[in-house]
Amino acid sequence: MDEQRRRFEQLVLPHLGAAYNLARWLGGRDGEDVAQDAVLRAFRAFDGFRGGDAKAWLLAIVRNCHYTTLGRTRKTVPLPEQGENDIASDAPDPERSAIDADRARKLNQAIASLPDEFRETLVLREMEDMSYREIAEITGAPIGTVMSRLARARALLRERWSAETKEMAP
Amino acid sequence: MTCERALEVQAYADGELDAVSALAVEQHLETCAECRVLYDGIVEMRTALKRDARYYRPAAAFAQRIRSDIAREDIHREDGATRARATFGSRSFWTGAVGGVAATALAASLALFVMLPSAQDQLANDIASAHVRSLLGTHLIDIASSNHHVVKPWFAGRTDFSPPVGDYGEQGFPLVGGRLDYIGGKRSAVLVYRHGAHVVNVFVWKDDGSLSAGAKDVSGYHIVSWKEGGLFFCAVSDMEAGELRDLSGLIQKNASG
Repeated sequence: MDEQRRRFEQLVLPHLGAAYNLARWLGGRDGEDVAQDAVLRAFRAFDGFRGGDAKAWLLAIVRNCHYTTLGRTRKTVPLPEQGENDIASDAPDPERSAIDADRARKLNQAIASLPDEFRETLVLREMEDMSYREIAEITGAPIGTVMSRLARARALLRERWSAETKEMAP
Repeated sequence: MTCERALEVQAYADGELDAVSALAVEQHLETCAECRVLYDGIVEMRTALKRDARYYRPAAAFAQRIRSDIAREDIHREDGATRARATFGSRSFWTGAVGGVAATALAASLALFVMLPSAQDQLANDIASAHVRSLLGTHLIDIASSNHHVVKPWFAGRTDFSPPVGDYGEQGFPLVGGRLDYIGGKRSAVLVYRHGAHVVNVFVWKDDGSLSAGAKDVSGYHIVSWKEGGLFFCAVSDMEAGELRDLSGLIQKNASG
């Protein structure tokens, strides 16, 4: 194993989970292939990586792969699939009530229903904890655009989420 | 009706403000009910997302597949690298120095040396793609102005270096504006010039010594790069290579003079 590959495994592979999550939120089930393709491309382009934030760098490649390989063919918004590991959280709680599960499902559907540019901005900010500057670098949008997308994403999400959960508000 | 400070409040909720601005927003939140609702809403939504939003995690088999992909690729790459080294002597990757108008004035300040071809090639490809992206998309300029007194301060605070910004309209290269871009994992200041119907992107970033100056063509685009005053410059356009060198000469003369 050469030095380059060792560096790649140290710097980039720890962000595999983030790459996978973003790819899935962007592309649904197809996201898995996109994530795989993106990591391989990242490895090929690793010569060109000259320091900086490896996570943002990898996520930018994931995003580019998504839009170049899927963007032209996929027209539907991905919905979170039922079943498969089921709902979000790290530690699935067996005590989780049906109401909790339903609330989570509705939130995830509301996220999935957001237009691509809002959904990706929201995922990067709230799930990947990326700064505005990093989001700007990943999405190639100016910071002002990132801020307004984020505001719009939150407003839309709130609207759709509360419409769904109104009847079960405390 | 949205309070004009809404984006500031959001930036506060996202931890993007410095202490002074954060304090100002906190004071604003005490008096603006609308922003208070906005802020509480963001925090509430964040809690809900942390609790309920799905975080897709790859199966162990996925990570395994990636590792074997990389191992396979690594072997191919080493083969390729051996071949490239074997033919390196007969190929000229970056031919010619910067040349052109101010070449002699520059000779002293420019470091020209041969570099690993792969990194240089990658850079040239990145630059060409960024150039194409800027022409296709809506992101050619962030700040539109032909006035270098407007464009130069715009970069302050957005980059940790100050690119030399000049307008060369009289010489046929009017300044159109500037933007930020991201090349090879680095934030780059970009100066945008026009020459007739051609657009020229000049990428500027801090020179870390990993790249060397030179000239190269990628898919019909000419790329000229040089170093000056601790910065690395890379100009790209589809106009004549000679004209591109003229512009790079003007920029260099401006930077050194």
